[in-house]
Amino acid sequence: MEEFEAFLNDGGIVEAPDDMPDEYRDAVFTFIEMHANSELMGGLTERDWIPKTPGLRHKMSVVAKTQDEIGHGHLLYMVAADMGVKTRTEMLEDLFDGKSRFHNVFHYQAKTWGDQVAIAFLVDAAALASQQAVFKNCSYGPYRRILKRIISEEGFHMRLGEDRMMRIANGSQVQRDLFQDAINRWFWPSLQLFGPDSKPNDKLLRWHIKSERNEVLRDAWVQKFVPLLQSYGFTIPAPDMKFDETTNRWDVGPIDWEPLKATLAQGGPDSARRISEALSNWQQTAWVREALDAPAPEIAAMT
Amino acid sequence: MTALRNYLLTFADDEHLMGQQHVEWIGVAPFLEEDLAFSSIGQDELGHAVMLYELVLGLDDIEPTDTAIDALAYRRSGDEYRSSAFVEYGTTDWAEALVRHWIYDMVEQLRWNLVTASSFTALAVVASRAEREETFHRRHADALLDKLLATPGSDACARLLEALDALVPMLSTLLEPPAEESQILSEGVASASLASLHLPAITAINERFGTNYGTSDGVPGTAHRQTRSAAFDPLMTRMCEVLDLDPEASW
Repeated sequence: MEEFEAFLNDGGIVEAPDDMPDEYRDAVFTFIEMHANSELMGGLTERDWIPKTPGLRHKMSVVAKTQDEIGHGHLLYMVAADMGVKTRTEMLEDLFDGKSRFHNVFHYQAKTWGDQVAIAFLVDAAALASQQAVFKNCSYGPYRRILKRIISEEGFHMRLGEDRMMRIANGSQVQRDLFQDAINRWFWPSLQLFGPDSKPNDKLLRWHIKSERNEVLRDAWVQKFVPLLQSYGFTIPAPDMKFDETTNRWDVGPIDWEPLKATLAQGGPDSARRISEALSNWQQTAWVREALDAPAPEIAAMT
Repeated sequence: MTALRNYLLTFADDEHLMGQQHVEWIGVAPFLEEDLAFSSIGQDELGHAVMLYELVLGLDDIEPTDTAIDALAYRRSGDEYRSSAFVEYGTTDWAEALVRHWIYDMVEQLRWNLVTASSFTALAVVASRAEREETFHRRHADALLDKLLATPGSDACARLLEALDALVPMLSTLLEPPAEESQILSEGVASASLASLHLPAITAINERFGTNYGTSDGVPGTAHRQTRSAAFDPLMTRMCEVLDLDPEASW
């Protein structure tokens, strides 16, 4: 391991066929699998509101955005499968059986169109910041190359979310109330997406998968989004939040990590519905996959 | 002008609602590649609807802003729409979704062919753009059906043929011409009646699925698309849920 870590510290890039310590392979695989799962489950969260998108051209943009997210999942599952730990089908079945994880934010339900916009604006920004930090110095080559594409598309998504948020912010009281309620629901889960402070011996940092500590990324998100939301007249649902005039920075106060822990155990507010619906969809369309996987009749006749 | 408006709305409303039905499958198609393909096809159909609504607005010299297009797409009363029951019908059965996709795109290609040499040149331009995409839609549906229908008597075959039996009667609504279509034909906007696609459509279905539907199946209706099916109101209510929160708002 020491030799491997020295290789990584020298800027070494690991490719799928390369020898690598099992511990590194498992850690990277689990990280990418969770990313892939999150892209897919994020798409499922958004799909609830796609048919209700207010506007025809608007709907085309929103469908394209969610299609991108599913497409990211598709690419990431390929990268993960190439590591030889699980096949794509095994990963999907583990996800739908509740055996593998996805990001905390997708254990919540998008209850209104405001939530849909908040996801595109707040959650996508948080996810993008995390992905950029991984891309910056990622030692696993296939993941880094896929992230380049994902990040470029996520940038468009964030701008779409920003555009929709600004329309709402400059819109009627009905719209503003809708989005304020969405902020109240999504501010903390978005912030918790970064996770608790990184441990001193965080393997993902040591092995150059992550390049930045969780608390640094989280704080950067807070410093950007708190003043931005306030500038549009929205309030932040953090009663203990303070502005430190000496450092010129916002402090949101103590963070309750219990909701995050609940989602990690598949016990979030919408975990059960989200997972069971995904499983039900998967089961209802099993006949298609089975028929496509069956050998052609002429081949079957020879066996 | 009324005849042309009716004719354009007939096509536009079908495209709009077909696209709407397709995008309902995002995230829940049988496998990831199919998810991506179906989403693309849904976007294409919505895009065709936008182009056709733009032509409708052009008849009244109205600038095709988002607001103007959405007024046409969402804010008419039910009796002002010209959609068919074939696209208003909602389904959560993938077999029906796939068979409908194949039938719709087969008919759609025939419909575009009717107007590729239209005297209304703006429509001919839209047709040539849309036809390029339809080739891929047809190829996609055929590739899936080639495989799923490969083993006669299989579970997949049974599901698809059952779906076909449910959908063929509704074909009559998709092939139902709008009012005053004769004027459209006499002015050279379209080369033949929508109803004239009945025999080619039934023939194509029989060749594709190995079935024996006859000329009495899916006969084009004669109500000029004046009425909506029972599925229309719930569908429109769902589509307009956010718009209805504040009808004056820009989203």
